[in-house]
Amino acid sequence: MTQLPSKRRKLGHTPSAELTQEDESENVYDAQSAEESADEVAIPQSKQAALRPKHSQAIDDAALYAGGSYKSSLFKLQVDELLAEVQPNYEKRLTGVNEALRKLKTFIEEVEDCDPVSVTEATKSLLKSHKITIPFPDPKPDRNAAYKLMYSRPSNINVVGSYALKTMVKTEGSLSIDMVLVMPSAIFQEKDYLNYRYFYKRAYYLACLAAGLQEKVEDEFVLAFEYLHGNSLQPILVVKPKSDSKKSNKSYDIRIIPAVPSGTFAESKLRPDKNAIRPKDNHSEQSSLLPPTPFYNATLQSDCNIEPYLKLQHAAAKQSTGFKDACILGRVWLGQRGFSSRLSDGGFGQFEWAALTALLMKGGGPKGHSVLSPSYSSYQMFKALLQYLSINDLASKPVCFEIENMLTAKSNLPMAYDGSRGQNLLFKMTAWSYALLRDEARTSLEMLNDATFDQFESTFIIMSSQQLQRYDCSLNISSTPKQVETNSYDHATKERIFAMRMFDVLHEGLMDRVKLVNVQLPSTNSWSLKSSSTPPQEPLLISFVFDPANIDRLVDHGPSAEEKKKAAKFQKFWGEKAELRRFKDGSILESLVWSPGSAHAVFREIVTYLVTCHFGAEFSNSLEFVGEGFEKLLPGGTSSKNFEALKQAFSTLQNQIKDLEGLPLQLRQLSAISPQLRYSSIETPIFTFTQPMIRPADILIQFEGSGRWPDDIVAIQRTKIAFLLKIGALLQEVDGTVVIRVGLENEDHQLQNSAFLDIICGSGAVFRLRIHNDREQTLLERHIKDKSSNHREREDAVSALSMYKKTFLQLPLLNQSISTHCTRFPLLSSTMRLVKMWFNRHMLSRHVSEELIELIVARTFLHPYPWRAPSSTMTGFLRTLSFISRWDWRQKPLVVDFTGTMTTKDVDSVNTRLEAWRKIDPSMNRTVLIAASNHDITGTAFTDSGPSKMVAARMTALARSACKLVKEKGRDLDHRALFASSTADYNFIVHISPKFTGTQPGKNSKPKFKNLEVQGGADIEMIGLQPVEQYLQELEKLYTDSIVFFHGGVGSNVIAGLWNPQKAAPRQFKVNLAYATKPSKHEDGEADEVVIDKAAILAEIARLGGDMVSRIEVQH
Amino acid sequence: MSPSQISDYALLPITIPPIPSYPHQTTHTLYLRPHAPKIPTPNDARSLFLVNLPIDSTTASLRSLFTSLVGAGKFEDCSFEHERVRKPLPAPANGSKKRKRADDDTEEEIELPRTWDRDLRRSGSSAVVLLVDEKSVELVLKTVRKLHKKGRGGWPVWESEGSTGSQRYRLHHTLSFPDPKILQANIDTFMSAFNDREESRKREERKGRQVPDEDGFVTVMRGGRTGPARAEEVERKRAEMEERERKKRGEMGDFYRFQMRERRKEVQGEMVRRFEEDRRRVEGMRRERGRFRPES
Repeated sequence: MTQLPSKRRKLGHTPSAELTQEDESENVYDAQSAEESADEVAIPQSKQAALRPKHSQAIDDAALYAGGSYKSSLFKLQVDELLAEVQPNYEKRLTGVNEALRKLKTFIEEVEDCDPVSVTEATKSLLKSHKITIPFPDPKPDRNAAYKLMYSRPSNINVVGSYALKTMVKTEGSLSIDMVLVMPSAIFQEKDYLNYRYFYKRAYYLACLAAGLQEKVEDEFVLAFEYLHGNSLQPILVVKPKSDSKKSNKSYDIRIIPAVPSGTFAESKLRPDKNAIRPKDNHSEQSSLLPPTPFYNATLQSDCNIEPYLKLQHAAAKQSTGFKDACILGRVWLGQRGFSSRLSDGGFGQFEWAALTALLMKGGGPKGHSVLSPSYSSYQMFKALLQYLSINDLASKPVCFEIENMLTAKSNLPMAYDGSRGQNLLFKMTAWSYALLRDEARTSLEMLNDATFDQFESTFIIMSSQQLQRYDCSLNISSTPKQVETNSYDHATKERIFAMRMFDVLHEGLMDRVKLVNVQLPSTNSWSLKSSSTPPQEPLLISFVFDPANIDRLVDHGPSAEEKKKAAKFQKFWGEKAELRRFKDGSILESLVWSPGSAHAVFREIVTYLVTCHFGAEFSNSLEFVGEGFEKLLPGGTSSKNFEALKQAFSTLQNQIKDLEGLPLQLRQLSAISPQLRYSSIETPIFTFTQPMIRPADILIQFEGSGRWPDDIVAIQRTKIAFLLKIGALLQEVDGTVVIRVGLENEDHQLQNSAFLDIICGSGAVFRLRIHNDREQTLLERHIKDKSSNHREREDAVSALSMYKKTFLQLPLLNQSISTHCTRFPLLSSTMRLVKMWFNRHMLSRHVSEELIELIVARTFLHPYPWRAPSSTMTGFLRTLSFISRWDWRQKPLVVDFTGTMTTKDVDSVNTRLEAWRKIDPSMNRTVLIAASNHDITGTAFTDSGPSKMVAARMTALARSACKLVKEKGRDLDHRALFASSTADYNFIVHISPKFTGTQPGKNSKPKFKNLEVQGGADIEMIGLQPVEQYLQELEKLYTDSIVFFHGGVGSNVIAGLWNPQKAAPRQFKVNLAYATKPSKHEDGEADEVVIDKAAILAEIARLGGDMVSRIEVQH
Repeated sequence: MSPSQISDYALLPITIPPIPSYPHQTTHTLYLRPHAPKIPTPNDARSLFLVNLPIDSTTASLRSLFTSLVGAGKFEDCSFEHERVRKPLPAPANGSKKRKRADDDTEEEIELPRTWDRDLRRSGSSAVVLLVDEKSVELVLKTVRKLHKKGRGGWPVWESEGSTGSQRYRLHHTLSFPDPKILQANIDTFMSAFNDREESRKREERKGRQVPDEDGFVTVMRGGRTGPARAEEVERKRAEMEERERKKRGEMGDFYRFQMRERRKEVQGEMVRRFEEDRRRVEGMRRERGRFRPES
């Protein structure tokens, strides 16, 4: 016996190696071999340990020492936790279930047999005696049918499914327990598989059972009908315990599923290529010529196969220790992606997952070899199944188990035919749900192969199927046409047929514009025994994932005019829109031309046209598009035209400066460091010859190193001014249209950069040039190390160094990376702008730097899992918000890898840094967020000056409530609600006079500040003037410790303030309190305590604000 | 009755008149006492120490405050906390010799042109007010006491000086862009002063390497015979040396068997450490409830 496992492992290893070769990924192999060796070591000693998951640590330890590489230990530990977490405590959570099942069984066995009756009689008598409507499927049975319906005691009653296998997973709602009732084969005849006869009998059987049970269980249970997996052929009986106590956590329901013994009907007649629904007017014997009815056949077979599949899974669980957990992992994975066995949820759920896994352990590979080895661990098995799903296209190349290859009609539906049970496991799937499943599998596989970052959350925790986060556009169709023509004989509801037609039309018409089209069929609910099932009322929902590269294409090329057949087909599909055009390269093609507009506009035009063309004009009016609203919020739209113009101006300037003769030092490079030069400023830069830009775009110039720079930081700053003056003079010499001015800054900080050069180009572009000299860093570091200088000087040097690193080292790199990725991801720019706007509207923008926001958004695109990189502003924005809401910044850093070159070690070191920060500053008074990138391992370049813990917590809270709203409202979300902010939480509000809030420039080419009488050249004087910003900066400096200010950026008309609660209490008088005080009131004349003097401070704020402040409102 | 004293400071409430954007009359409390610094200066006796100044305090506004309190002519000058001592720009290099020597002593820095018309004081900051004589100090304190005794009213009214609001920021904006000629002159002066200072420092250093100090030692200075080296050169040299050293060690890294064994052990230890770390992290995550529960 001991030899057996090792032999099996050897066999199993081959396919695993094959799999990885196909994947061409080293990581899989490493991880798998590591895990395999882990199992090898663990097997002898872990028989007992496996029974108790808590003890699995022993296995891990063993693996660690024996296995060597153990990349994913964190992942594995988390998976163990997950498995422990999701499994319900069967004893606690499902107390009384066994008892209830036993009781039910007895009751069922007591139900009396019914004699055979005709259809009409059956309907009447049940209605009369028990008021039960028999859940016959559509079309209803013929009243004059010759066959009889009957009920007799079930031949077998059995509990199956996840309860029996103990693979249940905790869910929000109630847990379902499947109970199978095997109907005696005596009540069926050989030919009952034809024309719904079996299903009519089954429905009657169920109704009789319900009638019999109804009275017996009335006190304890509630009965209702439901369609199994929403399949209208398979009504089932749902038994819910009456909740005597209001303990909702104990809720469960028992689903009674009628079944037939396998082999009741001939497998060969029910293969996917056979017809079992004969048209009424056609009595010819040649059934083989009729179109097949695969769905009907498979549904029937699934009733026969309930028990065989239970056996299969039991056997698999016995054979492989990892099987059960792999099923649970699969179930969680599917659940987070919105998949379940229900027709409306894609038709691929835990059962299909488990059955497919079990089958693949037996075969499915080339030459009938098994694909999965029983010795795989649960995670390996899970991953291997994902790999199987993503690699194989089961629609074009169906897989058959234990049967010679069958010939099947070409179809876009997937097939995994289980020969020994005679059923297509995937029969409930549709073309779209299969495409979606494969896409998800591919994405997840890529994600799991990314060894650098921890992907546990993305794989199992995040709910990725939320409509607005998942899809770029949703289309609501509220009315379905009365009649949909179809040439299929197969069973399908009207909605399903319509959905399929719709999908085909949209799929063909949209071509490569979309990556995914998903149709959400309305789901069916349970109904009471006394009524008949009601057709679903929800609208049909079609969702799209755009391909940003193609979505806004204006001209579609069809087949060439010479290919007559194809051209005719094209014309037929597109109707009058198709036109013959001659193109530049001389080709004459059928083509389509759409009117120019945004991605959404083009998309809407096409979809509306397609629907009108194929379903009628009155129908296309009921279409409702969801998803465009977000990008309409952006000022100046999503076009990058203005950014491009500024970039162009920058490169012109770059050339001019390069060609300058007489520069004091050799030029090394110019670099951009402005959001306007990396596509990320909320307002697009607008400039014309007469109207220069209001906000200068920051740029840097660096010269080749020279020993002539002074050895003193202040002297360097002064020398830089001389350089700027020189550059300005030289520039003006070569280009007369350029206006230059040297300006001073940081007058209070001698060590920091003290001057810049404003270059106002003739085109109207304005740049603010600063000189980067790398000597500064060494000098500042020396200052900091210098023990002889006092504390204050050192602090100055520290802050100057941090400024230096941010401005001269980090910003150019960030600018470079962001602007590169903006060209790679067309939606990155508008997403960054929208997220910045969100921060602005919620008045967080003074605390959360633009660069930090850019990093957060870049993460959504560069580490998009569990999704792909967003392809619309909406998905980008909502996924970013959802990340912020989940980001546990106390314990986790943000890491963005722009170049894909970071290693696990780098990520680890960021983690270590975070832990070190938390250790030395546990209350997070200094560093709160750690946002690292491949350019900045320290993670503090852009978070050094905020947000504080309070603001970060507020950011999280706001994001959470936004996400909650998105989830609750679903597709009815009003996007504006996410941007509405309240000022109720603040202590006081300073209202800015409207004259100074600064409206958007350029639109009407009026100057920013209307009160300043600007004429002609005087415009230039005002460039860069931001009085409100300056005012805020001063306020922040004056009241550093006592007030936190909030402002919504340019255009916002309020400044809000919060008193620091720590300074509210009266305290002992001393000289350096850093805020204005007054003696706190005392009974006697003498006082020794002082308290913050809020009125005096507000009066100061008002005084300083002068004409800019219209009113100060004290709230609480 | 409001308190008139806190520890040994006298309270001086000043009335802030209402303005349209904040139409409430407020009171700002100043704390004052005779100036008594740790390191005495000759003027202490006729100085007052003021705490909790309004942010818009200027010499002029304090002068008018004291004028309204004790009449004109008592106020001489004041100096604010953390105020940088600003000296007027020295005259361009004319009587240079004299000035140079002065520079050597005080290391005086030449300021860039100012960009604000007046500085603001941090909230709750302090100042020392110099009055004309000791009697005036007494007079001020006495007047304050008297006012307290009289009860409410009669407190001096605060007069804010200087520009506010948009005017202030526009002025700052204009001042931030000084005339290039003035700027150039400013820098030239600074640089020549700086160069002089550097020159003399170098001379000192050179001298220092030859002259023994009182204990008879000669201080060893950086640089060779030709003169003291620049700091950056020293740093570069050191980096070079370290680099060479590292290379040398790296080449011989896995020559001996024990080295390889040690390295392997190190790698293994690293892995154990990482695993323990991961376990600890997961342990921490478990403590937050719902961390491992799939979202719904």
